[in-house]
Amino acid sequence: MRKRLGVLLAFATLIAYGQGGRGPQVPRTAKAAALYDITGYWVAVVTEDWRYRMVTPVKGDSAGVLLNPAGRKIFDAWDPAKDEAAGEQCRGYGAPAIMSVPGRLHITWQDDQTLKIETDNGQQTRLLHFDAAESNGSDWQGYSKASWEVVPAGRGAPPAGSLKVVTTRLRPGYIRKNGVPYSANTTVTEYLDRVNEPDGNAYLVVTTTVEDPGYLAQPFLAASHFRKQTDSAGWKPRPCTAR
Amino acid sequence: MKKIRILLVFVLPALSLLGVLAFAQGLDFSGHTGQPAGIDISGAWYPLAFQDSGLITASGALAEYGGIPLNEAGRLYALAWNPSRIQGRQHQCMGYVPPYTYNQPGNLRFWEERDPDTQRLVAIKQYWQIAEGTRTIWMDDRPHPPAYAQHTWAGFSTGKYEGNELTVYTTHLKRGWIRANGLPQSDEATLVEHFVRHGDRITYFSVVNDPVYLDEPFSRTYTLGRFVKEPDAWQYACDDGEQILGRSEDQVESYFWGRHPFVREFADKNRIPLLGTLGGPVTMYEDLLDRLTDSNAADAGAMAELTPSAGPLRASRAPDPTPHDGEIHVLPVQGNVFMLAGDGGNIAVQAGDQGAMVVNSGSGAIPDKIIAAVKKLSDKPIEFIVNTGFQSDFTGGNVKLRAAGYDPSVQGSFFSGQFVDAGKGATIIGHQNVENHLMALKTASEGWPSDTFVQARRRKFQNGEAVEIFHMPNAVTDADSIVHFRRSDVFVTGDIFNLVTYPHIDVKNGGSIQGELDALNFILDRTVYKHDEEDGTMIVPGHGRICDEWELAEYRDMLVIVRDRVQDLIRKGATLEQVEAAHITADYDTRFGATSGPWTTAMFVDAVYSSLKKPPARSGAK
Repeated sequence: MRKRLGVLLAFATLIAYGQGGRGPQVPRTAKAAALYDITGYWVAVVTEDWRYRMVTPVKGDSAGVLLNPAGRKIFDAWDPAKDEAAGEQCRGYGAPAIMSVPGRLHITWQDDQTLKIETDNGQQTRLLHFDAAESNGSDWQGYSKASWEVVPAGRGAPPAGSLKVVTTRLRPGYIRKNGVPYSANTTVTEYLDRVNEPDGNAYLVVTTTVEDPGYLAQPFLAASHFRKQTDSAGWKPRPCTAR
Repeated sequence: MKKIRILLVFVLPALSLLGVLAFAQGLDFSGHTGQPAGIDISGAWYPLAFQDSGLITASGALAEYGGIPLNEAGRLYALAWNPSRIQGRQHQCMGYVPPYTYNQPGNLRFWEERDPDTQRLVAIKQYWQIAEGTRTIWMDDRPHPPAYAQHTWAGFSTGKYEGNELTVYTTHLKRGWIRANGLPQSDEATLVEHFVRHGDRITYFSVVNDPVYLDEPFSRTYTLGRFVKEPDAWQYACDDGEQILGRSEDQVESYFWGRHPFVREFADKNRIPLLGTLGGPVTMYEDLLDRLTDSNAADAGAMAELTPSAGPLRASRAPDPTPHDGEIHVLPVQGNVFMLAGDGGNIAVQAGDQGAMVVNSGSGAIPDKIIAAVKKLSDKPIEFIVNTGFQSDFTGGNVKLRAAGYDPSVQGSFFSGQFVDAGKGATIIGHQNVENHLMALKTASEGWPSDTFVQARRRKFQNGEAVEIFHMPNAVTDADSIVHFRRSDVFVTGDIFNLVTYPHIDVKNGGSIQGELDALNFILDRTVYKHDEEDGTMIVPGHGRICDEWELAEYRDMLVIVRDRVQDLIRKGATLEQVEAAHITADYDTRFGATSGPWTTAMFVDAVYSSLKKPPARSGAK
């Protein structure tokens, strides 16, 4: 009887080993665990919300964004001259808006646990932290926590999923350059997906949800996309503008 | 008893342990169908209208094209588009093509269709509320249909799972909208779509390639939200009616280039330089702003984009869908009617209990293969051949097809005593002018119509259905007819309707633009769509793919617009050379134009001009 149980346990152990029970493993870095490569230069293809993104919308036009009374009050008071005087030209370049700003991105791994996104338009830098690194935030780009969100795949299929980024601790700014506001209590949730086309083009599709109990009556959701460039062609660093 | 003890003591614990191990180690019991697993998008969804909220359904302002990589033809098409056009009968219930389908405020539903025996995923079905479109995304690796097959609003789609995406490839789309403010998506457009699910939201990303109206791929996103509760709103009632009383069938409203009354309205209201609002690849990128810094130069550039550019005419970027591989290709059309493609003009075959009725006989290059193809459709000999015209593309096979046929309806009748060859071979039916032209061309007499008519309507009852043959005076020639198989509800148009090129209006042989328009409107007065400008009456054109009334209505609209432009110039005293220099077909040339070959754009414009300047006498029998 004991002999039979011993055989059974040995068999079970063998199965466990065969299924990957090889003992403790060293956690892989975010860079090593990347589901796809999003590094390189990307150019924004502005085909959605064109009149709100390519040019500064006219004052009073907030179509598509549902503001609460507090947000409406700030929106109605938008004055780019005052922003310029206050040195706040970058209000429209914060994390809730930066991925919809026309221009180019340069994405690199700053280290094994941190992705860096630089923009030429507005010269902003976003750091996406995959580890528990702390940051004070409270600037235009706030503090971004990143993770590879893996979806279950079929047997034998390579892992797949999205890059999820949650950004908080933001300095108040504008969702759109014409003064559609967000507050310091805003949370931005983004999914960055790489899409490969049959013609060889690759696109970075960014889905952004902005939740702001301060100024929004309901979350604002939008998507933008960028096409991969082979080099830095067109990269033109330039400062923020308020108009 | 011992067996029970073994079961309790050894087997059950072992199975339990295996189950625990499987759970703990992530043993994968999915994928038993052999297909890659994918995201599940089944359920009810709705478009999240945060971005481009002003473009939902109403689709924005006139001349709001910023961010669309239009080529010149696409921009000029849109600039000529007058909103009053949607009051035309065939436009009122126009369907939606993807990706524009996601620009509508209605509900969407996805569901799977699986093989009941194997549970393999056969297709993902999609329904959208606005225009009640139903789409099938085939997941079983089937090939796309041939180029000469019908196009639909939903197109023909195949899909596959790629990582966390569903990727869908679509061809065979009808001409629809990029944006329903006149921005066209041509029937040559192909589409790649990616559905990426993030919890209760789908990020949708699409790329349209349209060689006719775009200079670059048009990529864009939409976002969808998942309904927690099934919505009870899926219908979209639409039935066309006479919206403007007294408007004639050949009145199609359009703006003349350079005289669009609202072209600056959107730009001025939003304080955007006009150049930016006119679209084109440059407007997709931030580099546009560099072009807008000099306002005078930008405005001059915009003004130049409101009319056709100088330089050579452009040729069609739409490949001829007709196979040229020396074979005859058969495509069921509807009811008893089939289309044969591969030898000149399209051939229609009506099959049934009686002998086959064949409309047109091809160019004569491969008649034996046509005969062999007909034999596969009907075990009876060819009884009737109908010629819709005298052109060699349609009559070249007359002699051989006739010889291969047999008309039992005349043999043994009193005709037998008058004509030695009565019943020997098929009977060729055609308008008297067809015979007149073939005689003048000195073709073989065995290929001339043996049963001619001079009246406006010739009728037969063959293979269980009424068949009407209508003479269309002064359309592309003075000898044209169309054939209507009434029970099958299929029109065969001959050269009157050509989905590959502009109509070959042969002015010297009695053709005219007005007669052509009258013929197209005659057909449109008799067609009925099944649902929202789709299916119902089917049409076999002289050249090109089979279609329904939508394509014919679009063709009619194009010819009305071209006629009106030429007429406008004639009223101003323009010479033919001046009309040609005006590039009045610039919005259609990338679809129908030709700069070489037997029928060029210049020849077409010449035909329109000359038949308007000097309309032909109404053609009857000569």
